[in-house]
Order: sequence, then C-alpha cells, then structure tokens
Amino acid sequence: MTPGRLRFEGRDVPVLEGDTVASALFRAGVRTFSRSLKGHRRRGLYCGTGECPNCAVTVDGVPGVRSCITPATGDLRIERPRGWPSADHDLLHVADLAHPLMPVGFYLKTFIRPRFAWRTAERMIRRATGSGPLPMDAPATRTVSRHVRCDTIVVGAGVAGLTAALEPAVDGERVLLCDGFAIGSRVAPGPTLDAIRTLEARVRANPAIEIMEGYAALGLFDGPSVPLAGAGELVQVRAERVVVATGATEAHQLFPGNDLPGVWLGRAASAMAALHGVPPGRRVVVVASTAEGVEHLRALVAAGTPVVAALVPSAFVDEVPRETEAIVDGELVEARGHGRLRSVVVRERGERRRIRCDALVLSMGLAPRDELARMAVGEPVRLVGDAALDAGEPRLGGGYLCLCEDVALHDVEQAWTEGFRSAEILKRYTTATMGPCRGAMCGRALACFARDHADAADQRSGARTTARPPLRPVALETLAAPVHEVVEKRTGLHEVHLAAGANLGWSSGWKRALSYGDLAGEYRAVRERVGMMDVGTLGRFLIAGRDAARLAGSVFAGRIEDLAPGRSRYVLALDEGGYVVDDGLLCAVEDGSYLLTSTSGGAERMDARLREWADRLQLHVHLLDRTSELGAILVAGPRARDLLERLTGDPIEAAALPYPGHRELTLAGVPCRAIRSGFVGELAFELHHPRSRGPELWDALLREGKALEISPFGLDALEVLRLEKGHLYLGQDTLPDDTPAKLGLNWAVDMSKPWFVGKAALERLAELPPTRRLAGLEFEGAPAEGAELRGAPLTVGGAVVGRVTSAANSASLERAIGLGWIRRGEDGFPNELGAGSVVARVVSTPFYDPLGARVRG
Amino acid sequence: MTLEIACPTCGPRPHTEFAYGGEELPHVAPDAEADFARVFHPGNVEGPQRERWFHALGCRSWFVLTRDTRTNRIG
Repeated sequence: MTPGRLRFEGRDVPVLEGDTVASALFRAGVRTFSRSLKGHRRRGLYCGTGECPNCAVTVDGVPGVRSCITPATGDLRIERPRGWPSADHDLLHVADLAHPLMPVGFYLKTFIRPRFAWRTAERMIRRATGSGPLPMDAPATRTVSRHVRCDTIVVGAGVAGLTAALEPAVDGERVLLCDGFAIGSRVAPGPTLDAIRTLEARVRANPAIEIMEGYAALGLFDGPSVPLAGAGELVQVRAERVVVATGATEAHQLFPGNDLPGVWLGRAASAMAALHGVPPGRRVVVVASTAEGVEHLRALVAAGTPVVAALVPSAFVDEVPRETEAIVDGELVEARGHGRLRSVVVRERGERRRIRCDALVLSMGLAPRDELARMAVGEPVRLVGDAALDAGEPRLGGGYLCLCEDVALHDVEQAWTEGFRSAEILKRYTTATMGPCRGAMCGRALACFARDHADAADQRSGARTTARPPLRPVALETLAAPVHEVVEKRTGLHEVHLAAGANLGWSSGWKRALSYGDLAGEYRAVRERVGMMDVGTLGRFLIAGRDAARLAGSVFAGRIEDLAPGRSRYVLALDEGGYVVDDGLLCAVEDGSYLLTSTSGGAERMDARLREWADRLQLHVHLLDRTSELGAILVAGPRARDLLERLTGDPIEAAALPYPGHRELTLAGVPCRAIRSGFVGELAFELHHPRSRGPELWDALLREGKALEISPFGLDALEVLRLEKGHLYLGQDTLPDDTPAKLGLNWAVDMSKPWFVGKAALERLAELPPTRRLAGLEFEGAPAEGAELRGAPLTVGGAVVGRVTSAANSASLERAIGLGWIRRGEDGFPNELGAGSVVARVVSTPFYDPLGARVRG
Repeated sequence: MTLEIACPTCGPRPHTEFAYGGEELPHVAPDAEADFARVFHPGNVEGPQRERWFHALGCRSWFVLTRDTRTNRIG
C-alpha cells in the first residue's frame, strides 16, 4: 500500500510505508491524541490495538476513529474534536481541576433548582463532552445486509483462530473465518507472524473455509448467530457452532497517573519502535512481568529505544539487556507528571524510589477478549487461544479505572459509599465500562472492585457485568441495514407519467402520479367529460380451483354464492375480532374462478389473508397474484363509453357490460378485462391489461380521447372524487377496531351465511349499543383549502368526540366536505360539531349523486 | 431475535423473511364466550407453542411450527 497524505489540523504530516494514522502523528510529535470525556485530561497512545479510547480522532469528518488501527493510506483529514480552543491547549481542562466539585453522577444531583438551570447546563455539558460533532452534511450511504450460513464460524484469525478453522475442515464442514483486519496485518514480524503465515497458507488452500477479512463481529445472539460488519455491508452469519478466537489485550493497569500521555501498553510501544521506527520515549521504563513483556523489552532495545530501567520478576532477570538497569521484583507505585509523564515511583525491596522518564511501558499480563462468549449463555460456543485465558486479578492501585468514560477509581469508591453495591449498578451509576471499549479495558477491574468490597457471601455483586452487543463501535446505518430497505414500486406507465410531467409521490410503496399540474381541470374532466388514471397499483388476484367460492365466501363477509359470472361485488374482509381489515372488488369469471382487485396498499395483506384461510380451512384453491403482471387504466366520466367505443368492436353498452360487472374485450388491439367501477361516482371502466402493453393502450386512449377533451388525472383528483361519493379509504378513514356497522357498511355483510371470518364476533358485538361511527361531514366556515381540516378534532361543547379523517373542497357541492368518526353522546350521535372555529354538520353520504344514477350510466 | 425458520418448501431461512401469524387456533368455537376467549385470550404459553408462520418473502405459504417461547428453539 502506498503511503497516504495526512492533513492534521491544517498542517501536512509526513507518512512512511506501513504507517498507521497514530504512528505518523506520533512521529510528527503529537503526544496528546485526545482529551478525556469529562475532565478533559490529556490522553496519549496507550493500547495500540484499537481497544482503548485514547487515540480516537476525527478522520474525514467521522468522529471516534481509532487512529492506532487505521492505516495511513489515501488522503486523510485528521482532527481532534475535543478541547477548546484546541486539544493541545484546552481551557476546559479546568473541568479536571474542578473534579472534587463534580463527583460521579453530579448531573443527577445538581442543577435541580431552579428548573431552567439544567437546560442551560445540559447544553454546556453536551458541548464539552462527546466524541465530536457528526458530519451532518455527509452524503447518505446505504449499508446492505445479507445472510450467510455455515457450520462453524471462527471469529478471529490469529494463530488460535486459524488453527481452529483447520480442525473441522477435514470433515468437509463449511467453516467461515472472519477477522476485523487482514490476516497477520497487525502482527509484528517474528515467530508469531511466521506461524500465522504458515497456517494462513493452509487455510487459503482449503476450499471448505471461507475467509472474510475486514469483517468485525458485532455480537453473538441466540441461534447462534454472529452479525459481521465490514466492506459496506452487514452480514448475518448463522452457524451451528461458534469458535471465539478474539485473543487478548494487554491488561489495563490501575495506579495513580495511569492515564498520563507517555504511559504505554507493551504491544503499542514495541510496535511503535519496531514496526514504525519511532521510539516511544527518550528515557523509557519498562514493567515486564510476563514472557511477552520481556519480548517487548527486547524489541524496544533492539530498535534503539533507550530503556533506562526494567521492572522484572526474578525469573526474567537474565533476559534484561545489559544497558538497562534491572529492578528485580520491584513494584510500580505511581506515575507522576503534569500533562505528560515525568517520572515513575517504584518500590524496590521496601524502598520507594523515583526514576525520571518520559515513557512507561507496561506489559503485566493479558486480559482475554471473551465478550462474545459471555454474550451467549447456553449457545454452542468455544473459546480458544488467548481469549480462553484465565486472567489474574487486576491490582486496584488507583488512577483511572475507565478511560472511555473518564471514571477514576475514587469515583467508583464514592459510588460504593453512596450505596451502589454491585458491579452492575456501579456500572449504571458511574458509567464505567459503558464506553466504546465495551469494558475490554476496565470490566475486570470493576468486577474485582465490587468483589473486594462486598461481603464474601455475596457472589452476585462481584460478578462481571453482562457483556452486550455491539462488541465495537458501529454506525447506526449498519444496524439499520436489515430493516431499512426502500423499495420503489413502479407501474408499467411510470415513464409515461414522467414524460407527461406528472408530479410523482409515494403511496404505499408505489411511486404514483399525484397530479399532472391542473388539479381542478383533472377533476372537471372526470365529472364533465372523461378522465383516465393509472391504477396499475391495485392488487389483482386470481382465485381458482374446486374451493374457490368457499374461500371467497369464508374470507369475505358478503354474499358470494349468488354472484353470477360477469358480475362483480364490493367485498369486505374482517379479522377474527370482527374488525374490517381489507376491502376489494370480487369479479366472478365464467369458468368458476374469481378475479379479485384489492386496494393498492393492502395487496400483500390480502394475498397473505387468502393464503392463510386456504391453509387453515384446507381448501383446494389456486391463488395467483397477478398484481405485477397486469397494468390497469381507469377511464371515468360521462363520455367514457363514447371513448371506448372508438377503440373496440366488442359490446360495451349497459346490457353487455352492466354495473357492477366486467367482461373481456380488445381495446386498440390490447386484450383487456374491463371492470365497471363505482369509486369516482361516474360511468367508469377499469381496463386491466398485460403490463407491457400499458403505454400503447394509454397512448391510444389519449389520442382518441382528444376529441372528447380527455385529461389524465392523478391521486389528488381521485381524493376529491371518491370523497364526494363518501367512499372510504381503509386505514385512513378507519380505526383498527372498526366493525362494518361503525363504517356504515352493514350492507356488505351477510349474516345469514353459516360462517365467515369474524361472523361470531359480529354476533357478539351486535348486542352492544353502537358507540362510534364514521359520518359524512359538511363544513361551514372552512379554510380556503378544505383539506387542511383533515386530522382536526371534532368537539361538542368543548369536549372532543371525534376526528376528521378526510376532507377536501368539493367543486360540485361548492363547499368543504369530509369524513370523520364521531362518538355517541348521552342523547345519541351529535348532528353538529365544532372543528376549531369551523362548524361540521353530519350529513348522509354519498354527497354527490346519492342515488348512483351516474355510475350505472 | 435471530430465529432461523425451516420453511416446508424452501428449507431453513432467516426469520426476517417470515411473518408471524399468531398461535395456532381453531377457527370456530362452540359459543360466543368461547369465541371471545379464542380470539382475545389465546394461550400465551410459557414453553412449546404451536404457531402459524407465513413465508412472506419467499414461497408465500403458511405453515405451523412449534417454538419454545422461553428459548426460541424451534421444533
């Protein structure tokens, strides 16, 4: 990889081959990488493995990026968001000096009175803390989601993970090996890397092993399943077994001054010296109590780092290089300095001793990263390698317990004295372990603290806090990936609408034409001449087979048996509680099958419902969803038949195609099923045709309709047209517990049928007095735009007794009309209600052409 | 939260493809009271429960499975 170019707070920082953002910045002299969350204390490089929060900077506007694991490739803009005026000279550092005034949970205890104090204080606190502002102007990106299945998933591709991946592979099992980084990319050259390369070659040669590099596990859920985030996608892996090989991090140490810049964990320090060629300090003290620590010590010395002293156990004393003073079995007491490390105090054979230094490297044992395994109680999960280590007890000497949330040991002690007496509630009160490291650095120490302080008998208070997903910081966009899936459905006439300059809008998943620019003209065309509309969004279903009539009779509340071929009927579907859930138009076809049209938004629901009852009643039916296969154009208006006659030789007079009825015909050479429709209240034909032939049919209608002054109309005109007829939109005009009686739709229910879905419930409900109903409303004193009344509460004597569900200005009636539900009062349903200053009068529907003479045409 | 459901037609698929259809219930009851209980007071058992699922983003078929409501184990 070619080194990139770093712009760090306005200046260029040189980048060398193999650099991370952190190493480039450190080489350039940056020591303060961030300011701590609350006290604005200086924080420098510490863990070097992406666990601790210290190196988090803002990269290209994205806050909270761990610079120690971010390769310095490409063109990067780096900022340190916290600190004012800058992270190097931060006046908010007074927060640290004021620490005694701001004890843990201080914002729960202060700013209580006066009430406005908190509002002001909260604004200030929010500005002073946090990880920096989010890039609000960043382009929207979309994370996609997919599912993967395997037998074994191995999380972590270190030595243990690679070994585990090779184990079951001999049986031909599918193994998925994932790691947040490329295999071996974060391991310094040496025997470990050699081992990894050898294993890697075998893993890559094995076709049963799928390798996903750059995919980080976010958690472990029942199943077991492991979501992985990487490469712009969220992969949800479902496996039979999980192997957790996430390794270990060097244990965070607690002693006074442990968060000073200049205090390093061994891996970070040796990588900085050996991989990037920058010594972590000019006078370095190393504390190495493990074999790995001694390795780091040697790596530092070999890279030319001046190590002045090393605290080692007696067993390792011979390993200490000659130029370094060995302090055998010494104890680290504290680190001193102001803003950066100046010296450390050690205890050697009971004597305290101060050593001047500018870097302190700690390698005192490992803390296994076993969170994944602890998330999955009872799941088939195996821990391998360092993740399975049994770590020793951390020593609670002082200093900062939780670096992410800036919680010092004495904060936790205070919380304890306030009565928060278990690890779980200490966590909640102090927020320790809640930061971006997810407790990797501090979880063990917190549990240990609680265990030390609790009664020996109290096992629970010292238990480790529950490990929770996500395992690492993750963008909300990634979490939303499986549920945020925008589907834009288009009819076969979409391009036609675009070309006509239609104003398109969303309507239950479809992109539909709202209007073609002249709402009033579109409306008038339908009422006075002829209009046409794309209704290809309607659900269309073929119900066929031996039990087709039984299915229709069961799902729909109306009478079905007497529906003769060629006729159609409005049908209502109820749920088992007797509530109206769907409606549609059922057309009986000559061969004993039915064509059902449903609402545009309810098509999938309708399909599911039909299939559900076909299954529950064990019926022999064929159900075919023809929605996407058929287009549909509604031709409506007093001249609609004149127009169709110009395009077909088939009979379409009232006797041959009555209302409500349907028949097959050929229009302008396009085979159609024409269904007489009553929705807009005029003579109207729905022309259902093969989707691909929609534009051809649309053009023919438009061409022949020219003489009749035809106009296409959209959803906005339809809203007025249907409202004038008092037709309701299920969902918009209804509530979830509306029975047919409440909607005035009892005429569509046949209680003499032996059974249909919801019949028993209707029988029960019939005994109760009606308490609410949907009513037609006329408004007096309505605003110029009557539609604004939609949603307005309806009142009687100041008490709210209803709500307007639909409203529009009716050109034919020359006033605002609407639908709304009203509640019954002591003396029956009210006839006059208030909607603000507007008077709403209850009237019978339809408002327009009450006898339906125009529809029958 | 991450169920895997074995569809009789399509085999094991992630639960996000399915819609839950409630407990398996008889579709009739002997009287009004029993019908009310059937619809509004279903079993809501703690343990293995027979329930209806719909493979909405797949073959669109309904089927019945047994799920343990305590552990989410199916079958």
